[in-house]
Amino acid sequence: MRDGDEMSLPAFARRMLPPFAGLPLGAFLTLSLRSLARRRPQVFERLGEHRRARYLIDPTDLPFAFCVVPDGAAAAVRVVFRSAEAPSDVAIRGPILVLLGVLEGALDGDALFFHRAISVTGKTEAVVALRNAIEDAELRPSDLLGLTGVLGKFADAGILGGLDMARRVATSAPAHREFET
Amino acid sequence: MSIALTLGPTFFHWPPDRLRDFYYRISDEAPVERVHVGEVVCGKRMPFSDPVWPEVIERLERGGKEVVLSTLAMPTLPRERRAVEEFCADGHLVEINDVTALPARAGAPFVAGPFLNVYNEATAQFLIRRGASTICPPVELPLATIGAIAAACPDTEFEVFAFGRLPLALSGRCYHARLHGLHKDSCQFTCEQDPDGLVVETLDDQAFLAMNGVQTLSAQVQAVLFSPADLDAQRIRRLRLSPHTCDMVAVARTYRALLAGDLAPVEALARLSDLDLPGALVDGYARGAAGSQPVALA
Amino acid sequence: MTAGRRMELVCPAGTPATLRAAVAAGADAVYCGFSDDTNARNFPGLNFSPQEMAEGVRFAHDHGSKVLVAINTFARAGDTDPWRKAADTAVACGADAVIAADIAVLDHMAQNHPKTRLHLSVQAAAATPEAIGFYTEAFAVRRVVLPRVLSVQEIAALNRAIAVETEAFVFGGLCVMMEGRCHLSSYATGRSPNLNGVCSPPEAVSYEEAGDATTARLSGFTIDRYEPGSPAGYPTLCKGQFKAGGKTGYLFEDPVSLNAGTMIIALKEAGITALKIEGRQRGKGYVSEVVRAFRRAVDAAEQGRDPVEIEGILASLSEGGRQTTGAYRKTWR
Repeated sequence: MRDGDEMSLPAFARRMLPPFAGLPLGAFLTLSLRSLARRRPQVFERLGEHRRARYLIDPTDLPFAFCVVPDGAAAAVRVVFRSAEAPSDVAIRGPILVLLGVLEGALDGDALFFHRAISVTGKTEAVVALRNAIEDAELRPSDLLGLTGVLGKFADAGILGGLDMARRVATSAPAHREFET
Repeated sequence: MSIALTLGPTFFHWPPDRLRDFYYRISDEAPVERVHVGEVVCGKRMPFSDPVWPEVIERLERGGKEVVLSTLAMPTLPRERRAVEEFCADGHLVEINDVTALPARAGAPFVAGPFLNVYNEATAQFLIRRGASTICPPVELPLATIGAIAAACPDTEFEVFAFGRLPLALSGRCYHARLHGLHKDSCQFTCEQDPDGLVVETLDDQAFLAMNGVQTLSAQVQAVLFSPADLDAQRIRRLRLSPHTCDMVAVARTYRALLAGDLAPVEALARLSDLDLPGALVDGYARGAAGSQPVALA
Repeated sequence: MTAGRRMELVCPAGTPATLRAAVAAGADAVYCGFSDDTNARNFPGLNFSPQEMAEGVRFAHDHGSKVLVAINTFARAGDTDPWRKAADTAVACGADAVIAADIAVLDHMAQNHPKTRLHLSVQAAAATPEAIGFYTEAFAVRRVVLPRVLSVQEIAALNRAIAVETEAFVFGGLCVMMEGRCHLSSYATGRSPNLNGVCSPPEAVSYEEAGDATTARLSGFTIDRYEPGSPAGYPTLCKGQFKAGGKTGYLFEDPVSLNAGTMIIALKEAGITALKIEGRQRGKGYVSEVVRAFRRAVDAAEQGRDPVEIEGILASLSEGGRQTTGAYRKTWR
């Protein structure tokens, strides 16, 4: 299992981003998350004890996954390759844009879970805590990436533009089955 | 001070003859101090059991038992509310299972049944000021918690639901009727077919619950088998035994022997296990665990 | 008892963000709880700190909405202080009402904060004039949230017989058992609404993927099984599939949710003061959508508009899930 040093951002993007953007993706995201914790400490307080849980975020359409411990100033993000080898308390799997949509709050995580667009396994109470913290946080991709101003707007537009497609994909999932008594 | 035994109200829809025979035998043979009569679960059953009670009460009192009139846990219809009011006006001790009955009892002594939400000493004291002389708290309360409440209410008797399928929930919908594709109003009294309740299993064949009309009980049978010393430490003054089709006289005798110190808890467990019980024995609630946990003696 | 007055729309707020969303969507009042076991939606990551509550009240008041604070679980024996403190904090935050079920909490409010409006929670399961009269006389409650087992006719009769306001659920998850008197959850998992403010708590939930099916369990008891392609659900005990008397299925309740929107006019005529939307554990997107629709529907009802029009406004909410009018129509029993 190697960490994601080959999964760095393209050169032009790195030039636009804050100084630590030359780092490997995992380190970059770690610093972004800690920066978020400085700006929005209540998001992490809302997690309670679950801020020390290991969340495996596994975008099914990317060749790598993220192991996240959202412990505020001590938060850590590691990029891992095949997710089956990464020990975690919770594993959340789905298409990347769907995951981002859930994060941003544009897509209803409950509906997606129940429609099987995302799969969630592991400690349910840690999932509930994460979901409630995200719900309240009203995050945008720029929050997570530590981007502000024009760069932030670009990031949000680029990623959120893709959310419309994700929304269509997610809500075209089969409706509730008929229940028999 | 010795711990007394109470026979709780029968939750199930037993026909009048069965009720009569049952209570006659109890009055003659069961070593219990107090016996509850009356319908707690479903007002529709009352026309069947009401005629039986006068003779049953008379026989029980001749047998030296103290009789308590239990009232409905969920009175809804006007005639049910009137019935509750009439019972409350009676000279006998009354068991109140819903706040509806409180005004009608008007300060006269009553038993606070396990369907009243007494979860702490403040609520207990409030009800005691209104006349509660015995309190049998909700079955999900651990013994230690009952002890904490009892410690704050030293002049009131606290009773524990010690034997029987646990009453877990009530609904406006009748599950027996629903199972048979019927409506509560035209239920045809299908609950009579299951004198201990009808077992509900999970999709993986685990015995889990039991339905009894509008009531949901546990499939398993509670058996609180603490030693008299342990009960005393929690200031428990009464044990409630809930009627089933098994030999309730044998159940009462087993508990009597346990309380007298003639039987150790493990021997009492063996005796109960020999009876024709409707489910495995559990005591999780008393120990502060999930109610479905099997009996675990110290 | 309050016929003629405009009905109040009471909406759930599980987090500060959802409170703002509900207020923006047109809620007349929002209800919320503190992040501890003094309220009956004690989920990880949900609810308000005292500071968030104070800010929420300020926000709501600035936008013309009220805040009702739910302290609706039962105080723990030997440790009743957290409930008293929660009540004191709610009053200090400027709450417009406290919603309570436990006699201990009601008594504390009546003795110490007689000027703060006291509402009787659905967890008190008060469904008769005698029961409601008792709580009115003993604690001066001003409004009672009705258990979801009464039909519209029964509600009308009740309102004629009592002197306080009534609030009825119109949308969201249904409790099939009498609220506030259910131990199913603690029987399986050791935790319950009355003991801990949770039902079917998440830490007891496990999903097993085996072969093609997903099995949802609660503390080892199988609650439901889902075939591939069909949506998985949260294993709330009373909504599971079981076997009894030779039949298999949703013995206690079909997994539907309540939508009594079509009964808004009937409920108003029956004397209901306030309409309540369930869902403090739901996301703000969901809450916004529901509140917006009900805002328009209630306004239409108050203006005497056509029932068909009201149905149309609420039609969009039925997509994606089966719904019922619950006990309001007597056929539910």
